[in-house]
Amino acid sequence: MKVAIIGVGQTAYGEKKNQSIDEMVFEATKNALEDSGLEREEVESVVTAGSDGLDGCAISNMLTAGSSGAYLKDEVKVSGGGIYGLVLGYLRVASGAFDNSLIVSWTKSSGVSVELISNLAYDPFYLRDCGFNLVTSLAFEASIYMHKTKTKDKDAAEIVLKNRENASRNPLAHLIDKPLMRKTSLSKYISYPLRECHLPPSSDGACALVIASERRARSLKKNCAWVTGLGWAIDGYYADDRLVETRHGVSLHSLKKSSEMAFTMARIKNPLEEIDVAEVSDVTPFHEMMLYETLGFCTDGNGKELIREGITKLDGKLPVNPSGGILSSNPIFASSLVRVAEAALQVMGKAAGRQVKNVDIALAQGFTWHSTQGSCTVILRN
Amino acid sequence: MKPRNIGIIGVGQTKYVTRRDDVTLPELAREAAVLALEDAGIAFNDLDGMVFSLALDALEGTEGAERWCADAVGGRRIPFIRVHTGGATGGSATHAGFLHIASGLFDCILVIGAEKMGETPDAQKVLNQIFDPVYERSVAINAVNMCSFQAARHMKKYGTTEYQMALVAVRSRKNALRNPHAHIRKEIKVEDVLTSRVICYPLKLYDCCPRSTGACAVVIASEKFIKKLGKKNIAWIKGIAACTGTYYMGDRMDGSSANDHADADGLFLAAKRAYQMAGIDNPRKEIDVAEIYAPFTSTELAAVEALGFCGKGESGKYNEKGLFDMEGGIPVNPSGGVLTANPISVTALARVAEASLQVTGKAGERQVSKSKTAVATGEGGSLQFYTVTVLSNKT
Repeated sequence: MKVAIIGVGQTAYGEKKNQSIDEMVFEATKNALEDSGLEREEVESVVTAGSDGLDGCAISNMLTAGSSGAYLKDEVKVSGGGIYGLVLGYLRVASGAFDNSLIVSWTKSSGVSVELISNLAYDPFYLRDCGFNLVTSLAFEASIYMHKTKTKDKDAAEIVLKNRENASRNPLAHLIDKPLMRKTSLSKYISYPLRECHLPPSSDGACALVIASERRARSLKKNCAWVTGLGWAIDGYYADDRLVETRHGVSLHSLKKSSEMAFTMARIKNPLEEIDVAEVSDVTPFHEMMLYETLGFCTDGNGKELIREGITKLDGKLPVNPSGGILSSNPIFASSLVRVAEAALQVMGKAAGRQVKNVDIALAQGFTWHSTQGSCTVILRN
Repeated sequence: MKPRNIGIIGVGQTKYVTRRDDVTLPELAREAAVLALEDAGIAFNDLDGMVFSLALDALEGTEGAERWCADAVGGRRIPFIRVHTGGATGGSATHAGFLHIASGLFDCILVIGAEKMGETPDAQKVLNQIFDPVYERSVAINAVNMCSFQAARHMKKYGTTEYQMALVAVRSRKNALRNPHAHIRKEIKVEDVLTSRVICYPLKLYDCCPRSTGACAVVIASEKFIKKLGKKNIAWIKGIAACTGTYYMGDRMDGSSANDHADADGLFLAAKRAYQMAGIDNPRKEIDVAEIYAPFTSTELAAVEALGFCGKGESGKYNEKGLFDMEGGIPVNPSGGVLTANPISVTALARVAEASLQVTGKAGERQVSKSKTAVATGEGGSLQFYTVTVLSNKT
């Protein structure tokens, strides 16, 4: 059964919002419902996506059940990352069990130490005491990628500049300041090769989607984004099991598996030619280039060429992260769902100042929140 | 559209115990995965997706420990998601597994989870963190006292007695003697319950569940996969439904509220939806056995009413008449239930596993005779999340 995204709702993303978690969830939910044209009473099921650790609260969907409109409905929380909310929502509607589903994800980053919680995501025997956390795990991958593909510090800076430039057109974005190129090379290392300016901010914010069956979507007679491809996969827990060096580049298995599944389902054979815009998890600029290669936008080892040639810029052949990406706005757990929301806006032609022209097919991709262990890829079509 | 026929083809459970120092969480989960696959007669390679049943991260002391377990349970490089609805997690995971197959994208899914409560220094301290930080958390409310409020309200509203609650504990303990997986296997008498120390009035020690360590898994498959496998005697999933109720305790203490704490209204709604999907009009007649998520004796009283086995406020009376005993009209918790084993992440999944064994006649000494249709429930949060799963040995 076909499934469509019929509504998108987001809060603005910022450093410290004067809102509690459930207030942010309420705002995103309300916006998504208004956009979809459905009333709360018509919503049949709710999927919440959050992390107890990041929320500072056990079973945090207890708290957000009310503000996500889940009262007396079938509601479930998914773990891993916001984009997994779309996975369960999709299964609910595609199976015919539900006519529609509301999906909401959030993080109040200002209320938590991401460094501490992401360290607790590592096993207590080997990795936790080594000080592994979100940034150090990404730094290992970035380092291997950088050296294997001979990608330069300057290429990474170009990605950051591109995304921040795009963010200046997105009224919801958190960071729109462009780091000056000369300053970029002076920006201090946080964890080699990641400099301060290579890392996303930590933002407060929430994002919601309303999805519906074909029958419902057609009856609403409105612009919607059809989910034509969906894939998700997890890889090994230990970081050294995950990164696979290919002939010229570096690949992540979870990403490869999830995109293969999505491409097969959406019958996409040549991603660079067929996809019009992509919103991917640029958790670091190096990862954005790694994504170019694994998603098949270029050959192994040539991610840097796409940014050097301007192909992924807003006016390029395949704009990537027109919203500004995670490097500009990062409501940590929800960031992967934001990719889907932004891709949906592009397909529906509702991305305003950041709209890419003539979008027929969009790709959205997200990682699990604290590492690249899991990945999910979504293909949307108008 | 005719829904696909989807069934449970294998279950695996470890023995539930106080503590396991010989295994890590992934190793514990693997034990159940291997048992379930053996029972189903399939290999890890036959799985095309996985749902991990894991509740409170803080109880494991690791954020998102499902990813730590992914390799051990055969999840590497296949679709894998985790759901978390507190105590109801196992029910939600079962439903998610069902939906994977109902979507037409998958044919064989492992639903797996594990719990190491033995390493949690103070579970009730963690369970205090489920309450909202502004109003209720600082009252030091936790799982025991929120359920004691429910028990007290049932007593006040319906005249239920501590003696009637004690009967639930006695029956559960007696049933658990026939279940080799049960954590607590020791018979008790009504007087023992009534004279055990008060934990939080009216709940006494023997009205309460233990905290258990263990793992549970079920394999769910499409009819096409089952036919190819040549497997017979399947627990078909006939109905699934869930309902989320109110968060706040304070919303349920006043008789005029929509969610009276005496009644499990969320369970009532979930059951109504699941029965409708399963085509059940008269649960009292059509359901042969029930595995109910009831961590306290009083929770079971409200649950059997919500499931339609008797009228509101009548459960105490029917307990005295033995309706829910092994030889009664609707045996409840032949496994001994949650009162004899509560590994939170998989407690609701174990209810599904036990119900599955019952309808396929594989429950050994705890088998209820002629059980064709069974219901399994899950309950999570502040009695906020409810799941209901109806199983039958007929498609």
